[in-house]
Amino acid sequence: MKPFVYQSPQNIEEAVSFLKLPGYSVLAGGSDILGEIKDDVVEVQGLVDLRKLEGLSDVDEAESEVRIGSMVNVSDLANNGMLVRRCPVLPLAARSVATEQIRNIGTIGGNLCQRPRCWYYRNKRFDCLKKGGDVCFAVNGLNKYHSIIGGHRCHIVHPSDIAVALMSLNASVNLFDKDGLRSLPIEDFFISPEVDVTRENILGKGDILTRIDIPKEALDCSGIYLKAKERESMDFALVSVAISIKILDGVIERCGVSVGGVSPVPLRIKELEERLHGLRVKGFCSSNLTMDLFRSAKPMSDNAYKLPLLESYLKKALDEVLSISSN
Amino acid sequence: MNDMVSKNRSIGNSVIRADILEKVTGKALYTADLKFSDLLHARIVRSPHPHANIISVDLSCAWNLSGVVDVLTPFNVPEGKVAPDLPILDTRVRFVGDEVAVVVAENELVAKEAINTIDVEYQILGFSVDIHQALSSGAIPIHAGGNLINGSALVESRGDVEQGFAKADIVLEESFTTPDHHPAALEPRAATAFWDGKLLRVYKTSRGIHADRSAISSALGLQLEQVEVIAPHLGGGFGSKDETRLAVLASVASMRSQKPVKIELDREEEFLAGRRRHSTQTKAKIGITHSGDITGIDVETIMDTGAYLSSGPGVVRRAGQAALYLYECPNVRYKGSLVYTNTPAAGSYRALGAPQGHFALESLIDRAANAIEMDPLDFRLKNHVSPKGQQGERVTPIGNIVDTQPVEGGIPFSSNCLRECLMTGSKMINWYDRDKYEYSTKKGAKIGVGMSMFVYRGGPGGKSSAVIDALDDGNYAVSLGVMDVGEGALTVLSQIAADSLEIGIDAIQIVVGNTSLTPKAPITAGSTVTFSTGKAIISAAHTLREQMTLKAAAYLRVPASDLKFDGTRFFCGKKTVSVRDLVLDNGGKISVSKTIEPGSTEHVINSFGAHFVKLRVDETIGSVEILKYVAVHDSGTIINPTLAQGQVRGGISQMLGYTFTEDMIIDKSTGIVLNANYLDHKSPTIRDIPKIDVVFVGENDPDGPYGAKSLGEPPSIGPAPAIANALYNATGKTYPNLPITMDRIIEGS
Repeated sequence: MKPFVYQSPQNIEEAVSFLKLPGYSVLAGGSDILGEIKDDVVEVQGLVDLRKLEGLSDVDEAESEVRIGSMVNVSDLANNGMLVRRCPVLPLAARSVATEQIRNIGTIGGNLCQRPRCWYYRNKRFDCLKKGGDVCFAVNGLNKYHSIIGGHRCHIVHPSDIAVALMSLNASVNLFDKDGLRSLPIEDFFISPEVDVTRENILGKGDILTRIDIPKEALDCSGIYLKAKERESMDFALVSVAISIKILDGVIERCGVSVGGVSPVPLRIKELEERLHGLRVKGFCSSNLTMDLFRSAKPMSDNAYKLPLLESYLKKALDEVLSISSN
Repeated sequence: MNDMVSKNRSIGNSVIRADILEKVTGKALYTADLKFSDLLHARIVRSPHPHANIISVDLSCAWNLSGVVDVLTPFNVPEGKVAPDLPILDTRVRFVGDEVAVVVAENELVAKEAINTIDVEYQILGFSVDIHQALSSGAIPIHAGGNLINGSALVESRGDVEQGFAKADIVLEESFTTPDHHPAALEPRAATAFWDGKLLRVYKTSRGIHADRSAISSALGLQLEQVEVIAPHLGGGFGSKDETRLAVLASVASMRSQKPVKIELDREEEFLAGRRRHSTQTKAKIGITHSGDITGIDVETIMDTGAYLSSGPGVVRRAGQAALYLYECPNVRYKGSLVYTNTPAAGSYRALGAPQGHFALESLIDRAANAIEMDPLDFRLKNHVSPKGQQGERVTPIGNIVDTQPVEGGIPFSSNCLRECLMTGSKMINWYDRDKYEYSTKKGAKIGVGMSMFVYRGGPGGKSSAVIDALDDGNYAVSLGVMDVGEGALTVLSQIAADSLEIGIDAIQIVVGNTSLTPKAPITAGSTVTFSTGKAIISAAHTLREQMTLKAAAYLRVPASDLKFDGTRFFCGKKTVSVRDLVLDNGGKISVSKTIEPGSTEHVINSFGAHFVKLRVDETIGSVEILKYVAVHDSGTIINPTLAQGQVRGGISQMLGYTFTEDMIIDKSTGIVLNANYLDHKSPTIRDIPKIDVVFVGENDPDGPYGAKSLGEPPSIGPAPAIANALYNATGKTYPNLPITMDRIIEGS
């Protein structure tokens, strides 16, 4: 670890001006980037703390949407009564993140922007593709925790639980970049290694993620977030499933299904959503559902288990969320 | 013992551990907390290569950094060795993370920066990350003498195993593997050394200050008297932290700079440069008759000891105890090999090789019972080793102390309540209901019940000493050379001292952690401290009481046989003298020092136990939920029930990690450990641990101090085989490879 400068700007323009300096990065909760710095995985010249920026720590219930500032911490997300009522999948995902201590300092923005947990990426001794090297060491190495879908050249999985939940809610994100504030669907926020192997989202130098919006049509849904963990108390997902579902007169009226732990970006499973849409809940049984949803999956030497695990979790999540919504 | 004393008896009570308040309030000081003026900080340059010769070390960039004071390299340190295969620094590095050089600087930040500036020229060598590579014909020897330690396996046998198999109706054979497993103690290793020109004072994380003192003095060519080792509280030992390279490097740095020098490992270094449990590959074979008799047991284990030998020979021998002694069987053989590889060194870890050995044997026993359609509990009740011991001829000459891990038969146990362990545990788990659970499934989940039993040496260790001083304030100073590694040994030893002096425990002041103030002692290892140091304390206490009684008799001018003692005063009728006055009358101190050779010439002294598990497994998602865990132990008299339960629950918790999640993952193509951190080396936290029912059965052991036997390590032996057997019961599938991770359950192997 090398010494670096700490900046605590008062407003977003000031923050951006710091972030444009070479080697400057955003500091939100710090639970990820400080670890990377200490482990000599990244080197920074400066960290720009967003804590003093106005409006970034609020959760607003507006007419058309729910707005969540990027600096809202994960614990507050997990315990927010309005969110629990209106889009339970999100607080459920937030509750599954790391530990109480990390949830208390971690933020929703930081959670979406965290770097992959790939053990080759996280080890300073491996100069992997993501760090500018030539090889993804997972291909011929140990890849139990790596991607089975869409790995292309780099086989990370996106580590965020919250991202998976937000996908199922059709959320959008707000950025402050060179053109000012703009909003885009969360699916467009994450980018695959095919587009750029060195990053996981579209944020460029000096850009700041400011807010996450959940649209009206996704509110007042039932929801579930299930996460397969090897260690119950604290672990990243082997696979995870988020479902947000609205049932009207016994029929599935809206349904968002997304999965994590299997791909470099959180995946929305539109094919399943379409199959579920309009389905009558009564008499539905997930075991009759043929999966065959992941035809593009290409497991590696150590992670073939992820496919059956993912399918079992999808069925389990569907059964559980339907039983919640029918009550 | 008179009535008053037995009322005050401390043994059997859960006396609150002496260090608890300062530990839970954060006031307890550990090695790295100690402050020194003028302190220099050292950091270690570690090898990026799994196997290489160091050709040269270029320090020019390091010297350009302001604040760098010294750099130790293999070319400028003394030639001594800290262990037979471990020089102070070597020109050969043997794993990724091995010590290359040490930068000494005015502060830690400079030291950290400087280690990245040192340019080391390596001659890269071929390397072996596993035992098969290491034993292959083209493998480069990691040490002179080759990769198979001693060039051959340890073989121990009784009877004729081939003849045993010839008598069998059924012979079963199965292979097992167990992982590299790190104790992952919260406190990383640390050492601060200060050479003042005459005396080398070393503060270090230690399990045995006197062993450290010998190792440090011999590595540096100093007289024993020139070295003093001081150990503050230890933040977790678990059998690890018994090596001294770190302390010797700090010492060399201090001798060169004439200033105190501190080295503290970070988390990754603790994983790499600490000591892990040996991974194993085991082939186990058993011969049985249709009626359920065992005719032969043959077990062969190959252990990966990593880059250095450490305590490997003890570990490989311990792995054979189950095969040789747990079941009554006239024909047994154990063959254990140790192999060097280019991976972090293995060493002592709670119960040494016993968990690995028992995992293989106890899994195979369930298969054997199944093969003859006998209940596995009934099979064990029929075949477990009885209090009479193994059949056969005693080999140890009469009058000699019997090994606690013998191979020979013909020697009875001092006590053996294994049968009571089996009966008690099976009742608590409702064992004979277990086949009813097969159909009581919940959405594809299955319920299983399994068990394991175990035998463990321990108790008698090496020569043990205690010094007890009666002081002029009425208290007693008890000086002991052993360490409390966090298990509460000092509390238990205080209880033994109080009862054997027939005084209240508040009058006991334990003196430990400094070689200058304590008598020589073995390291805290092998579950020996309560037994061995306890016996030394009893011996010293009784002698002290005799001497004090004689002095009191002389003082009061009454016959010694007429004297009574109430804990603070001697009296005879109305004549009385307090301990304080007696001590003052004798120059301010009455002191007794005793050294004993613990052990028995008549008995094998072993501890026993049986663990029972009821669990629910869902093979579709790989999940296992432990519904009930029952641990029954025969460790003789339980001196402090709360601490003893803590030992059992702690050992099981640790081994639940071993069973389900923990494994040091080493990248095959580079030899780099991929998960040297708390996130990826998945040790369970307290929230992952189920309720564990702990029961102690058994009798007072005739050889133990107040009837106690060993307890520290045995709890680690039971969990893995009990759980694997419960999964076998639930699913009908075998789980011969640890850890039994979710992916293995999903994939059904």
